[in-house]
Amino acid sequence: MTSFWLNLGKAALAVPALLILAFLIVPSLAVVPMSFSDSMVYKLIPEHPSLVQYQSFISSDGWISALLNSFKVAIGTALLATTLGCAAAFGLTRIDSRVRAILQGLFVLPQAVPSIVIAVAMYFTYSKLGINGSIIGIVMAHTAMALPFVLMIVGSAIHNLEPSLAEASRSLGSNSVRTFFRVTMPQVYTGVLGGALFAFHFSFDEVVLSLFLTGASTKTLPVKIWDGLFFEVSPILPAISSLLILIPIVLFVLFMTISANRNSRASAHASDGARPLDAQDKEEVVMIASPAEQSL
Amino acid sequence: MANKSFDGYTLLAPAVVFLCFVFVYPLIQVVWGSFFYGGFSFNGYARIWAVPVYRQVIGTTFRIALFSTGICIVLGYVVAYFISSTHGVLRRVLTAAVVIPLILNVLVRNYVWIILLQRNGPVDHLLSAFGVAGDSRELLHSESAVMIGMVSSLLPYMILSTLASLLAIPEQLRHASTSLGSSPIRTFRRVTLPLSLPGAAAGGLIVFIISVGFYITPALLGGRRDLMISNVIAFNVNETLNWKLAFALGTILLVCTVTAYGAYASWLKKKLISHGRLSY
Repeated sequence: MTSFWLNLGKAALAVPALLILAFLIVPSLAVVPMSFSDSMVYKLIPEHPSLVQYQSFISSDGWISALLNSFKVAIGTALLATTLGCAAAFGLTRIDSRVRAILQGLFVLPQAVPSIVIAVAMYFTYSKLGINGSIIGIVMAHTAMALPFVLMIVGSAIHNLEPSLAEASRSLGSNSVRTFFRVTMPQVYTGVLGGALFAFHFSFDEVVLSLFLTGASTKTLPVKIWDGLFFEVSPILPAISSLLILIPIVLFVLFMTISANRNSRASAHASDGARPLDAQDKEEVVMIASPAEQSL
Repeated sequence: MANKSFDGYTLLAPAVVFLCFVFVYPLIQVVWGSFFYGGFSFNGYARIWAVPVYRQVIGTTFRIALFSTGICIVLGYVVAYFISSTHGVLRRVLTAAVVIPLILNVLVRNYVWIILLQRNGPVDHLLSAFGVAGDSRELLHSESAVMIGMVSSLLPYMILSTLASLLAIPEQLRHASTSLGSSPIRTFRRVTLPLSLPGAAAGGLIVFIISVGFYITPALLGGRRDLMISNVIAFNVNETLNWKLAFALGTILLVCTVTAYGAYASWLKKKLISHGRLSY
């Protein structure tokens, strides 16, 4: 008897919960059907499905150059943020805990401060330095904002490191650089890749900073969409938005594929000895470290 | 060990120096400029204090943020509780459903709401089918539209943090409560709710801090150039070029946000220490 009411209660909870979830998802996906409409007015469900919007986008110089700018900036951000972030993540593990806490506070600031304040601040500084509207300027700005996320992702990958492998490598004569690239990196590169892809996605989607820091020739895609929303009713916006949805999906699939490859190799190792440090790992470490020994 | 520290600092140096130049220095210029731009004076702050429209904007900002946060807490709790009651594949699918909107660009999300909320749009038709009068259907370009947009952007964060705190409650506590004779509602009221509320409140605080700084959503859905603080700042930078005022407003927003975030961080740290998950 009680379980009837319990199940009824659970069902009653499901209805509002699912409605709320629908409220979240439906708008996200609504642009896709809209992008196949050919009318000048936005129609949620197109009457005559066609690829007109996508064709206009591909043939438009302005949109394509904006897309290219977004790619340039995103790649630059991913490279810079990942390099700085990886180094910092490793550095954080080696320093005194009090200083570490302070630095972690510093690294979380870009996430905590409202973007508009950062945007205005950088706009002012960049104008004085004369680099407003430059690609390098936006790349630096995006990198500063993406750094906290890269640190989080790489930091958690480092957390799962097996320290004895690196110690073994060092004790067998490898120097720090060799140890890092041949022993440590292969263990954390999924996290590093995740951080890089996240930085790419963050930069590609970024609006507020880009609004203030891009110039006429360096407009990124989100900025051009913003212009389209405010100044002209552009019927191809749904198609562009659908493309914007596609990018993180592609990145996600890329990430899952690469990390799945890695996991299947790791589990092949595990099936040999079912221990984290089996003979094969140790052999690899010795092989990697010994050439350094021989050169002595 | 000293060697290890030195390595650490060397590795950290590029990132720290980079952040100081690219991020910290411009922010310092903002705070400095709020007092010293065009000569030392409190003009910026005085204007904010004296002219009523700025206090209105600050009030509007906090009001919208507060309401959006409240709605997020309630709706977020419902969804999070539901998800926590499911298991296995269903739970994973639902959690993925919550995360999906996060990968969407903020412009696209708000832009879809413009389409949905516009006159003769789907929501308009829906409301008129329910018999809502013509005037009250003016949803777009209003505070309500901004709140709808904000809630749809922030709800995933709220759901995830509430879900985390609900899932952290050991199952045995609920079992103990029901086996000792509590009805499910009583168990919820006396066991689940009090244990999950701190996590939900923490999520709420973060959501509130983020809402106060929103720029895109009020700009697109609000219908006015200067609905919330961030819009006024942008207006003063882009249109009136009143840097001092923009800096003053920006400093206020900066100080409030960072202070609130600091309070949240120290509360979180105390909580983690008391739960034995942090050792210093």
